[in-house]
Amino acid sequence: MTLAANSPTSFPPAKAQRKASLRPRRPASTSTFGISLVTLTGLIALWFLAARFGWASPLFLPSPADVLTQFGAVAADGYANGTLLDHALASLGRIAAALGVGIFVGIPLGLLMGLNRWVKGIFSVPIDLYWGLPPLAYLPLLIIWLGIGETSKIVLLSLSTFAPICFAAQAGVRSVPVERINAALSLGASRLQLFTSIVLPSALPEILTGLKIAIGAGLSTLVAAELIAAQSGLGYMIMSAANFLATDVVFVGLIVIAVLAFAFTSGMRWLEHRLIPWKGKL
Amino acid sequence: MLRIRDASVTFPASDGQDVHALDHVSLDIAPASIVVAVGASGCGKSTLLNAIAGFLPLTEGTITLDGQEIVAPGGDRGVVFQKDTLLPWANVLDNVALGLKYRGVSRGERHERSRHLLELVGLADFAEKPPYELSGGMRQRVGIARALATDPKILLMDEPFGALDSLTRETMQQLLASVWAKTGKQILFITHSIEEALTLGTTIVVMSPRPGRIVARFDADFVRDFAESGDIGPIQSHRRFIELRQEIRSLIHQPEGARTGTLQ
Repeated sequence: MTLAANSPTSFPPAKAQRKASLRPRRPASTSTFGISLVTLTGLIALWFLAARFGWASPLFLPSPADVLTQFGAVAADGYANGTLLDHALASLGRIAAALGVGIFVGIPLGLLMGLNRWVKGIFSVPIDLYWGLPPLAYLPLLIIWLGIGETSKIVLLSLSTFAPICFAAQAGVRSVPVERINAALSLGASRLQLFTSIVLPSALPEILTGLKIAIGAGLSTLVAAELIAAQSGLGYMIMSAANFLATDVVFVGLIVIAVLAFAFTSGMRWLEHRLIPWKGKL
Repeated sequence: MLRIRDASVTFPASDGQDVHALDHVSLDIAPASIVVAVGASGCGKSTLLNAIAGFLPLTEGTITLDGQEIVAPGGDRGVVFQKDTLLPWANVLDNVALGLKYRGVSRGERHERSRHLLELVGLADFAEKPPYELSGGMRQRVGIARALATDPKILLMDEPFGALDSLTRETMQQLLASVWAKTGKQILFITHSIEEALTLGTTIVVMSPRPGRIVARFDADFVRDFAESGDIGPIQSHRRFIELRQEIRSLIHQPEGARTGTLQ
């Protein structure tokens, strides 16, 4: 019998026993990689079983083997005016262009909005107004203005990536602790030195968070725009396949998008690890 | 010489009643002296320091440092804050060297001078560490080294040891006393601890709130013994120390009406 059980007035026995059984263990590992791998394997196995035993018609749920075959076919021979690589590159090119605009316009403008009352006053209302709109709601207007070609899509995507980056840069500037600024000033920093050595690095974590949101917003807007109006891209490929009930090609498209999204997330995590290992530590 | 003449700072409050955080305070800080301002919360001691640092404009009066009026923060006044303000993305050495970098001192020279200062505060082995791997006391030492690096005319310390545990605090007081003995800097030190004020101050000014003003000043000399012996025990049991402590305590705890009555 444990000591705790002998003195129930001071220790509830159940709790004491749990404590005792936890004590000798090593500190728990925080990595979830192994668990996640099991989940992924489980999902794929479930998919195999569902297809194998015909739980759903192949029209709704093609077998993994079919999808794999179709993947090879789409990659080699192409589908809807292009190979898988063509479509993926078309989509990636659009999102890269949009992120470029978001970063090179959004970060400087956001920083300025954080630093200057006038810039904030002028730009915050128009950005707030359009950012509240679902991008697909103003896509028709952009098509009327700019035509059905690449320009309207890149402008649409740029608008959807620009706002989160701009807001993040602005919030980053405003989040700089005032003591940190005072400390730099009393060390003799000029205004330019204050900006480059204090404000910019302090704003970096917020900016990277904004970039993550922008990538998410950009990716979902991209595919949606391609579903509606495009002659290339992963969204277009999925839409074309759906029109012919080629569910296996739809799956191929979805898996490629999921992998791209995962790659973006991992890339951002790596970037955060490299650029701001100190985040949240002081 | 830092000269404060009739300095007042008034904040507009939401209820329309202005807050007189600092009310016609005059004070001189001579070279190689440690002036310690002690008082209860809200007595304006931090306001005084912020005004000298240039973070806060005076409503009335003037502050001059070697004849030059203070209007903005500047490198001639080193500040050590209660909460350390080290940059997490730079290592300890680069944090100490920050002010020298602002002055355009070459990399080699600023690192050499910073290493020397880290030795002075006993952190020579931690130069390459990021600040968040250091304890609170160590971070404050880095803060002191950083403030000293640019060789300011005066060191302003705003309750720098207030957030530390009492043992670390004693070590830090000892460190400051020895740094002061070695460098001969003039220092303004803010604290709410009477013992700390007496241990470190060559001049102790007692401040009272609403409105914030200086109600008494005392000269003391315990810090020289402390810097030499490094032992706080005999100093704090000294008869004069105990008398002064009692006197300052009664001044701080005096009811507000009585205090203003005796002064006017």
